Amino acid sequence: MNAAGDFYDFHSVRPHEAPHEIEDVERLLAANNLELDSQIEIFVVCRQQGTVVACAGLDHCTIKCVAVAEHLRGEALSLRLGSEVVSLAAERGQFHLFLYSPPHNQSLFRGWGFYPLVEVPRQIVLMENSTVAIQRYCDRLREQRRPGATIGGIVLNANPFTLGHRYLVEQAATACDWIHLFLVREDASSISYADRFALVAAGVKDIDNLTLHQGSDYIISRATFPGYFLKDKALVDHSWAAIDLLLFREYIAPALGITHRYVGTEPFDLVTNSYNSEMRHWLQQPASPAPPIKVVEVPRVSIHGTPVSATEVRRLLAHRNFKAIEELVPATTMKFLEQDYPQIVQGA
Amino acid sequence: MKIVKEAIAGTLESSDLLVKVAPSDTREIVIKSEVFKQFGKQIARVVEETLDQLSVKAGSVVIEDKGALDCVIRARVQAATLRGSGSEDLDWRRLS
Repeated sequence: MNAAGDFYDFHSVRPHEAPHEIEDVERLLAANNLELDSQIEIFVVCRQQGTVVACAGLDHCTIKCVAVAEHLRGEALSLRLGSEVVSLAAERGQFHLFLYSPPHNQSLFRGWGFYPLVEVPRQIVLMENSTVAIQRYCDRLREQRRPGATIGGIVLNANPFTLGHRYLVEQAATACDWIHLFLVREDASSISYADRFALVAAGVKDIDNLTLHQGSDYIISRATFPGYFLKDKALVDHSWAAIDLLLFREYIAPALGITHRYVGTEPFDLVTNSYNSEMRHWLQQPASPAPPIKVVEVPRVSIHGTPVSATEVRRLLAHRNFKAIEELVPATTMKFLEQDYPQIVQGA
Repeated sequence: MKIVKEAIAGTLESSDLLVKVAPSDTREIVIKSEVFKQFGKQIARVVEETLDQLSVKAGSVVIEDKGALDCVIRARVQAATLRGSGSEDLDWRRLS
């Protein structure tokens, strides 16, 4: 350890418990063109003679807001910071970690044991702290490969599974030799992942050319949501979609031989709507060395003039309007909502 | 000794290494080292020997090496394995 290292004081800070300390952290971040990310649960902060000289934040399994004071770069402080944040994550039970870096800082994080997964050219790189995790994941997917010329892929959150989802899956299953259906695993929805999974499984049980897959960190997860070091908010959403879609195109689709991605049109939700247009760009255009995937937008189904959406179902649920819900969801989802409705409201 | 949970030991600083262990059906070792060209084989041998001494037959062991000496590699692999085994009673003779 170098002599200067002895003067570094590392400690962890929870943003909500120490607002004044976070002000110091914010100053360091601002000097590095970064903003404080509100999702961060805990920071590793390094002080030298009272001044914050380095920091790294942790949002579940994603490292964010990493900064080192300019005059201390090149003195191995970053490696200590990396060690500290990796052990803090381990103490919190997180071993599989992700990190976003501008492309020019990649080599720094290579030193932390992080390796690039996908890159949005000149913008960001998503890295993970393993050289084998994504390959093992793809190996497991490859075991589920099915023969056919047209293989469809669908990603659903299904909160909860509606007749709209059912229609989308049916359309895809009719048009394709096989369908790989993924469910978003993040437990950020009012209905738990386990329940959502059970409802989808029940709702597609009769479709025999379909595999229902568990979600993962690599498909629309908290880890694939960057945007902290980007000043331009418009760029944030853009890159979020790009990273997620490039992961799909470069790893998941080739492992399963997916040729088409099916998605419902989204007239209401602006985020999903922009996600769909991003999809056309990042999956179909020559934006990646991986083979292009055809995006098929299926028009949203309406029942008695009401477009079927999970958002609408949740709205009706809040008003206990089961009669209206019954028209929008399959019987299996209906039964679940009626039985478990009070618990869901409490959990929401 | 059986690895029943994920665990880490070590640091990323120069002359040290970070060892991550996780449960797995087979014994898999992945080594990344800044001096892999010169010492990759030697590092692998030390890791294998250390795991053999602890009778670790299955588990994933991932190493991020920063030019650590053999004795350091041994100590870090032992520490990560013991943490990952969750066992309290140690056979100290095996750790020499």
